[in-house]
Amino acid sequence: MKYFNKLTISSVFLTLLISIPALLILVNIFAPETENWQHLKDTVLLEYVFNSLYIMVGVAFLTTIIGFSTAYVTTMYSFTFSSFYHYALILPFAIPTYIVSYVYAGMFDMTGSITLFILKLLGKENVSEVFFMDIMSIEGAIIVMSLVLYPYVYLICKTYLISESSSIIDASRTMGLNSWQIFIKVIIPISRPAIVAGTILAVMEAVSDFGVVDYYGVSTFVTGIFRTWQGMGSIEDASKLASMLMLFIFILILLERFQRKNKRYRSSGKDFAPIAKVKLTGRKNILANILCFLPVFFGFILPFTQMSHWFILSYEDVIDEDFITLLMQTLSLGVGGSLLITILAFIFVYTVRIHKNKLSDNLTQTVKLGYTIPGAVVAVGVLSFFSIIDKAFDIFITGSILAILFGYCVRFLAISINNYESGFLKIPQSYDDACKTMNISDFARLRKVIFPLIKNSAMVSFIVVFIEIIKELPLTMILRPFNFDTLAVYSHELVGQAEVFESSVPAMFIVLLGAISVLLLARKMIKD
Amino acid sequence: MLKKLALSTLVLASSVFAASEVNVYSVRHYDTDKKLFKMFEEKTGIKVNVVKAKGGALIKRLKSEGKNSPADVLITVDAGGLYKAKNADLLQSVESDYLTKNIAANLRDKDNKWFALTKRSRVALYKIGSGTEKMLSTYEDLADPKFKGKIVVRSSNNVYNQSLLAAMIEHHGVEYATKWAKGVVANMARTPKGNDRAQVKAVANGIGAVAIANTYYVGKMVNNKDVSQRDAIAKMKVFFPTFENGGTHINVSGAGVTKFSPNKANAIKFIEFLASSDAQELFAEANYEYPVLAGVKSSELVTSWGTFKEDTVSINALGENNAKAVKIFDIAGWK
Repeated sequence: MKYFNKLTISSVFLTLLISIPALLILVNIFAPETENWQHLKDTVLLEYVFNSLYIMVGVAFLTTIIGFSTAYVTTMYSFTFSSFYHYALILPFAIPTYIVSYVYAGMFDMTGSITLFILKLLGKENVSEVFFMDIMSIEGAIIVMSLVLYPYVYLICKTYLISESSSIIDASRTMGLNSWQIFIKVIIPISRPAIVAGTILAVMEAVSDFGVVDYYGVSTFVTGIFRTWQGMGSIEDASKLASMLMLFIFILILLERFQRKNKRYRSSGKDFAPIAKVKLTGRKNILANILCFLPVFFGFILPFTQMSHWFILSYEDVIDEDFITLLMQTLSLGVGGSLLITILAFIFVYTVRIHKNKLSDNLTQTVKLGYTIPGAVVAVGVLSFFSIIDKAFDIFITGSILAILFGYCVRFLAISINNYESGFLKIPQSYDDACKTMNISDFARLRKVIFPLIKNSAMVSFIVVFIEIIKELPLTMILRPFNFDTLAVYSHELVGQAEVFESSVPAMFIVLLGAISVLLLARKMIKD
Repeated sequence: MLKKLALSTLVLASSVFAASEVNVYSVRHYDTDKKLFKMFEEKTGIKVNVVKAKGGALIKRLKSEGKNSPADVLITVDAGGLYKAKNADLLQSVESDYLTKNIAANLRDKDNKWFALTKRSRVALYKIGSGTEKMLSTYEDLADPKFKGKIVVRSSNNVYNQSLLAAMIEHHGVEYATKWAKGVVANMARTPKGNDRAQVKAVANGIGAVAIANTYYVGKMVNNKDVSQRDAIAKMKVFFPTFENGGTHINVSGAGVTKFSPNKANAIKFIEFLASSDAQELFAEANYEYPVLAGVKSSELVTSWGTFKEDTVSINALGENNAKAVKIFDIAGWK
């Protein structure tokens, strides 16, 4: 027992430590209203709020529809290419959002290749002569982001559905419910925690995006934060904007938890038999294939094809000795970071589960906030924090790998925690109780009971965080040591020079690394 | 001989102890710079260590690091960044005969805390054969209703737009600048989106008639792998607008020595090198920027666009007015 008290204490300490940068930003909500703030209120604040909300709602809606429907169909049914889609549906996740936004603008904006091609076919001069919806708009941004973010919902729902006992479905079938009734009355309600966990991640990521909205000319909280910081030179007012955004998300998280408490669907965990997949034929088979093909095509195949074309045209100019170093740096940062985060998140969530300590529970929720803050703002929080530490202890952590890893923890622990939380929900409390009555030691319980059941969530967490880290940009860029580049940073630098072709080379490696991880992940899920 | 010997000893020492180095925080993300840093290393044996990030981020990092900061040199892509760094007391005065003699007074800080290294001008581009050039004259005139539905320009989040408006404020005051920004917004062919190149592409394809962009992007579009960029720029021509009582707006990329620089002597050497004719030529040739060193020619391509009269507004003023400019953009509804 003593061991676990220590665990609680260290967990509280660590969560507190990791919450500090977010809290340093959050306290700005109480900062007095400056002249700049008054100006923001009078002019653009309402637009920031509205656009950010619009993006959140839009992305939540689209990612849920795409992610859950595909997860459901590929878990419950077998159809012509179902095992292909099992893998392929996660692939869009491997492509950095800003690359997809560039590709789509290049094809579908007012002067995009496909737009110009269609205009030529129609014999028109420019888009003002025809009905035209510009991809470079807020709706376009929502679509582009949803296309690469839906795998969050897909992944979490799928892990959940696979390991959810088939007995519920069998029982429903025995009771004479048809597939549609099972879907509406049984599957959706029991999957709710997974859907919400996935959607919240997608929404948090969308709302903290800078690359897409900046390029598409959409003003959001995040563009506002940068504008206020860089343009008006006021880091205080920028932090206040960031704190508003955080508060907003925090309320969202609380609402979700409150609801979940009212409706508890805890697995009995009695039956781990795999789900007997129903074979689809005829029209249903075709429909299922189309449903799964569309997101894979628009989220992966299309942008990937374009990237490959650019890659072939420019790889010789980009790949050199330095590039190999950069590749290795990215890899080690990715592996190290995701390992650290996966372990920490486990400790946090597990502590909350066994000790039901209110404080560590609340702190764990606070840690999640980091994910809503744009990477650059997290970096500011981390810098402020370490400058205090550096001065107090006369050491120099700022500008070291340690600072970057810490930043990753602040930003990405939410992903891992969400993963474990929905994973642990499936392990009934009765298992813990049984262990206690059987006098099984805490450590043995962890090793023999909990770990095998949570292994899947740990794997998913590791891989998802790994992909996030290798795609991560602003935080790495600001906190990195001298002469330290990653694939994402280099790709961004090339985009900054508007060398989009060349930028596809490092981006291609990100995608390949991501794709390999995704395939490993999908295989793991099938085996289990 | 003695000099050579000293130099080679220095090179040897640096490779053995890696003691001789210069640590650079840079906002510039150009391949040219990589080449320049290598040139400097070969020439002096001083190792160049670099961290690249956005201006505000590097300034914040310098501030947080305080006197522990390992940085020696800060390089920015705009006057605003240099001004902010100086104002936050992050730079120190430098005594260098070479720099004061060779960089014009309006292109360096009055306390010698920073020095411009390259210039870029913000110009208008129009489609060849459209007759638009007859309409074009001053920046002020771009707010005239005759340009209704004709102007395409990127978002005001961008620092180059902010600098342009900052210059307008310096010339005519806040009130006029606000009216001007509103006028330009009313003339826009579409809401601002995309980067400078996207604006040029838009006009080339019949959206609006006047694209506002920085000169070096034009150079980069001419020599690009992307056919659509080459095709677009081939249809376009550069026009140098001026301010009514001034010249064409220029902004600078520049450098300063940080306040707590641990390798100050190397830092000065480094900046002197960037202002040397070798380095200036590379800036001009490979990145299509205008050199600050007299006697160094612009690239042939850049020269082909014509010459222009530079605006005389002090670079400092651009930094000073930057925050005001952002607020005016908000008021004018320039996205």
